[in-house]
Amino acid sequence: MSDFTWGLIQIVGVHTILGLSAYVILLTGQVSMAQAGFVAIGAYVAGMLTVLAEWHIIPSMITGGLAAAVLACIVGFPALRVRGLMLVVATIAFGEFVRLFWFNFDYRIAKGDIVVGPEGGEGFKQIRFFPENGWTTQDVAIFIWIVTAIILAALWWMDRSRAGKVLRAVGEDEMAAQSVGINLTVVKVSAFTAGGFIAGIAGALYAHYTTHIEHLNFDILMATFAIAYPILGGLANVWGTLFAAIFIQVIVIEVLRDLGDVRNLMFGALIILVMNFLSHGLFSAQVVRKLKEWTRLGRPSDA
Amino acid sequence: MKRQIMLVAAGALAFAGTQSAAVSADREVHVAGFGAKSGVVRSFGINTEAVMRAAAEKINKEGGIKLGDGTKGKVVVTFYDDRCKAEEGISVVRRIASTKAVVAIGPTCSNVAEPLFGVLQKKAGDASDTGLQFPIFTDTAIKGGLAKISEWAFRNVPNESQMYQSLFKWVKKENPGYKSVFGGVEEDFAHSRFTWYQVMDKRAQEAGFKVLGRVKWLLNDTNFTTQVRQMKKAKADVISISSHPFTLCGVLKEMKRQRVKYKMLIGLTSSSSLETLRGCSKQAKGIIIPTSFAPVTPAAKEAAAGAAKFNGSADLHSAAAWENMFILKDVIEKTGVMAKGDTVQADRRKIRDGLAALKSTGGLIGGIQRTMEGEAVKPYVYVHAQGKEWKILHDPRK
Repeated sequence: MSDFTWGLIQIVGVHTILGLSAYVILLTGQVSMAQAGFVAIGAYVAGMLTVLAEWHIIPSMITGGLAAAVLACIVGFPALRVRGLMLVVATIAFGEFVRLFWFNFDYRIAKGDIVVGPEGGEGFKQIRFFPENGWTTQDVAIFIWIVTAIILAALWWMDRSRAGKVLRAVGEDEMAAQSVGINLTVVKVSAFTAGGFIAGIAGALYAHYTTHIEHLNFDILMATFAIAYPILGGLANVWGTLFAAIFIQVIVIEVLRDLGDVRNLMFGALIILVMNFLSHGLFSAQVVRKLKEWTRLGRPSDA
Repeated sequence: MKRQIMLVAAGALAFAGTQSAAVSADREVHVAGFGAKSGVVRSFGINTEAVMRAAAEKINKEGGIKLGDGTKGKVVVTFYDDRCKAEEGISVVRRIASTKAVVAIGPTCSNVAEPLFGVLQKKAGDASDTGLQFPIFTDTAIKGGLAKISEWAFRNVPNESQMYQSLFKWVKKENPGYKSVFGGVEEDFAHSRFTWYQVMDKRAQEAGFKVLGRVKWLLNDTNFTTQVRQMKKAKADVISISSHPFTLCGVLKEMKRQRVKYKMLIGLTSSSSLETLRGCSKQAKGIIIPTSFAPVTPAAKEAAAGAAKFNGSADLHSAAAWENMFILKDVIEKTGVMAKGDTVQADRRKIRDGLAALKSTGGLIGGIQRTMEGEAVKPYVYVHAQGKEWKILHDPRK
């Protein structure tokens, strides 16, 4: 496979993680537009750890994820007070707050003959852990997909456990969930925290494969992509988000690259179409059931 | 018998001729272009592509590029849209690197160039660095000092620091009564932000102006009422605006509406384009901009006509793509690039080394000096908007 294909595999992996960060929160019926902010926190924290403190990527990535999780937990509490459209507005405001924080954040130190670190609006350059440590594009892609697979597996397992059922119960009907003794505060804040952690991991990986980050990378468009993946793919299971990330990044962005601005229109039209005609996403519970039935057809019956 | 021999000889010659013609016809030198062809800054990518195609057409009409084994190769241009997004720019260059392309010209945006150059190998030949080994020769992304990020990155963009230093000094010399400058900056765009804070502000003060302050706006802003009100209050002699044509026109229209009085208006290099004149030629009348391109020489006029033929326009940025194409032609011929399927990586290295070795090159309005860091020192003139065209106000070389 070419370097380009491995590079594309990296992008799909990071965007899948980004989508999964919104997926967890969407399960509880909350729409978060703060994911880009959490990604930014993970990106800057992990970048500073590998560049300034010379940590390895793995502890840096986990620390970036934890930093984003702490912020998400703090955001989760006030988010409980609002819902629906107001929550969307509140989380957009948070995302902008984080973006503007990094826009004004300047912390650079001399490292040899160069000065490195975040430089406000100029961005944070030379996050070159991967190339400087001999990681090829293929190595990075495999690493990203190991992380993606772990997160996919964890969420898939959670979906099948009591925790997943609790999240879905809150998402389906808060009143009913509360009436059977589910603590809404704990569930919603937990979902926000988990979503923040996952977004922070995505940010850490993003910073290291692009080698340069700046506040503009974490704008409303990134937040839109984050929720677009689970909305397009559906919330029946984690595979919908994976499918949507592959579809958007490979087909809409890469294969249709020559279409120029039409790509942007297609992305918007696709979301509108799915929301209108497939409100449960491309991989709704019904579609998943049919797929399971279809895959069973070829097997010998138990009788 | 003699006739038969002659016929056989003629046939053999004709066969040999077709063979060599077929060989040269098969040899193609793939040059990729990339930049923003969609989104707010799409006109930059569209212009670069038009200029690259016009230059390729001229090179091919003149017989193509002489390759390492003496045959001639045809230039083939492919252009990719990166939407001015860092992630897409990296993906596009990886895609280009997986093709037969031996070099790429681009990108449009500095926020793409910076991460992209970071993905390239920092020091050429450093086996411990797994960065991409692919030469990039930038025409547009102008933010200061980017080529030093990687030895595979080269730029043919003007040195804004030098241009504004010279411009402010000239303004002071010509108008000793002008004392103050007030700035306007498109804050969220890497190039315009850098140019105000690192270039215009500092160079104006060095020239003896008092900088009274500055107002900020964003690339996607459409309302400039508050900023222009502050601008009006400052009552500066010179207003210096570091923003791209889209917001520049918005600000100039608002300045007209609020009847802001000033003695001189200075603009950002990137705004010396057709977009500004299309968007607000009336309001932009008299704005002075230093630029490294103006159709003042036969070669520059030819580049401008070529761009127009391919539905683009030659300006400060896109005209550099024309220069890049001809510089690359010389480098390819000098370094003996083979343009064969199995020499792609070796050809890329030859081009990189060839570009790194350049000390000076030809340019559309005069000779260009090359620096050790892969940057260019280009000649420039000051232009001012007059109706529907940019006219030369002053040539500092004279």
